[in-house]
Amino acid sequence: MLELKDLENRTLYIIREAYAEFNRPAVLWSTGKDSTAMLWLCKKAFFGKIPFPVIHIDTGYKFKQMYGFRDRIAAEWGLDLVIAKNEEAMKAGVGPQNGKFECCTRLKTQALMQCLEKNRFDALFLAIRRDEHGIRAKERYFSPRDEAFKWNYKDQPLEMWDQYQNTTEDKTHTRVHAMLQWRELDVWEYVQQENLPVNPMYFAENGKRYRSLGCEPCTSPIDSDAKTIDEVVEELKVTKIAERSGRAQDKEKSFTMQKLRALGYM
Amino acid sequence: MNLNVVIVGHVDHGKSTLIGRLLYDSESITEGRVEEIQRLAEEYKKRFEFAYFIDSFDDELKEERTIDTTGVMFKSKDNYYSITDVPGHKEFIKNMLTGASHADVAVLVVAADEGIREQTGRHAFLIHMLGIKQIFVVVNKMDTVDYKEKVFQDTRDKISQLLASFDYQYVQFIPASALEGDNIYKTSKQMDWYKGPTLVQALDGVMISTKSMPLRFVVQDTYNVDSEKVIVGRVESGTLRRDDEVIFQPSNVRGKINKIKIFDGEPQEAKMGDSVGIVVNGEVKRGDVCGLVGVPPTPTKEFLGEAVLLENKLRNGDKLELRCGTGKVQCEIKEIKEKINSETGEVVEKHPAEIGENEAAIILFATEPLVVEKFSEIPELGRFVLVKNKNIGAGVVLEAGK
Repeated sequence: MLELKDLENRTLYIIREAYAEFNRPAVLWSTGKDSTAMLWLCKKAFFGKIPFPVIHIDTGYKFKQMYGFRDRIAAEWGLDLVIAKNEEAMKAGVGPQNGKFECCTRLKTQALMQCLEKNRFDALFLAIRRDEHGIRAKERYFSPRDEAFKWNYKDQPLEMWDQYQNTTEDKTHTRVHAMLQWRELDVWEYVQQENLPVNPMYFAENGKRYRSLGCEPCTSPIDSDAKTIDEVVEELKVTKIAERSGRAQDKEKSFTMQKLRALGYM
Repeated sequence: MNLNVVIVGHVDHGKSTLIGRLLYDSESITEGRVEEIQRLAEEYKKRFEFAYFIDSFDDELKEERTIDTTGVMFKSKDNYYSITDVPGHKEFIKNMLTGASHADVAVLVVAADEGIREQTGRHAFLIHMLGIKQIFVVVNKMDTVDYKEKVFQDTRDKISQLLASFDYQYVQFIPASALEGDNIYKTSKQMDWYKGPTLVQALDGVMISTKSMPLRFVVQDTYNVDSEKVIVGRVESGTLRRDDEVIFQPSNVRGKINKIKIFDGEPQEAKMGDSVGIVVNGEVKRGDVCGLVGVPPTPTKEFLGEAVLLENKLRNGDKLELRCGTGKVQCEIKEIKEKINSETGEVVEKHPAEIGENEAAIILFATEPLVVEKFSEIPELGRFVLVKNKNIGAGVVLEAGK
């Protein structure tokens, strides 16, 4: 386990590397704890003001509390918020009834794809972490994506000594996973240390709390009595339950997450 | 303490199984994961394997081999560990190096029934090139040789011979079976003749010493913050203090550290690993390295390096990009001095015309002005990657300014 200070230093270094090497970066914000910590780290990297847009992918199926939290933080932190929606799929009524794989791909991955095309972003900061999911443990810090958004996981770049691959051909983008090394517990200890705002859904009500936030139909709470940040930290020190146990798309079929991610899912 | 451990060795000698066993025995596996893997094994008509805890691509399961590196964390009684699994196939050396480049120590896994194979030697050589000084050799699959002491001794002697040419400071041999759980996390009941530690006990005893090094701060960028020019970067070695008299190279700018700046304060000093901003009079640029005037960084146009090439070919006279720290310059392969067999570390050819994929060499590089340091003195600025559209090779600086 690295100290929070080491993790923070490392993430600041990566954010600044990407900002120096790419022309049009943006950061992805789900409003969850990880990407909110990511925004905070971006603020720190630039001494207060994030100098690039913040993208929120809106599937229309997010929890009401997530929209409220999003708008409050966006105003407080002065974010340049870009909302990405796949309007066409939303109009066509795409939803979980189409199957989770299709729903995630169309409402999330394709919404993001359209947003990147429109804004010509060439780098995207993401708060995914190695300990979240086996497939995310395989990621690089800088991960190039091709024109079709595909992740060529069988041929990932050589990445040694913080020398990240930052060349992208035209019309492609690079995913920058600046928090890859953080663990779930680290994020919560960081929230605690920095006194960061988090969505109240993370705290227990009637013996249940959300450990990972996604779309309402596909996200379920876990049994928990942790009502405060301190109690969440204590819970995570002893739990044996997987963080994404309440996320349905991970488990629909074997390797769904790999297949989603190969197509450009986050 | 946190220790970064990379597990290396030839394909099928049991690296992923060893890590799966570590996670399982240290109770680091989340609830339901064992059942999930049992279900997967049934679906793919495979036997339950500890390796499936970390081999998470479907192709890895189908082909029964690791394709890319994985990082997992676990805690022993005394220590926190970041464990890196790497693939053991020759075609995935770049993934192996990616995984190994942040390691403090290495565990070399050698199957008792097969002994030294191609990647055993190559991984041992590359680990040594990366500057890792402590290596733990797990003689694995002892269950397949009836836990015989003689097999362990013979294997140990052969590996000792192989490792002799790679100046490791510390080598320890452990007989084990990752599959059965012998001497990985728990002491084996099958090998009374072995009195030494389990792998985890051995790792718990590792001490990483840090020597004192002169200040080197690499410049990433310059930001305007409240109409003040803030140079951002990282302290790679030594300590940076307010009021220090410093020099930036290759820009050749002298100045004083007027201020050290972070988001929520102005500390008096910054230590190795700190990402900070500094305020200095003078224009510097990305790629510059800052040091104290008394022990300044020296820009060079030529240096001797040892490098391994992972794709493509390199010939005398070739031009490509070289990156060290935040520096990015054009370089020329001035002279390939010696070709090295990356399986044994032996010099196989003097003054070769070219080197190819997975070959190593001692090379004289000519570069645009750049600060590099001897790898043995300041490792953070003594290692570089070679770029031709993408990262194709990596190396360390043997002699700077030569």
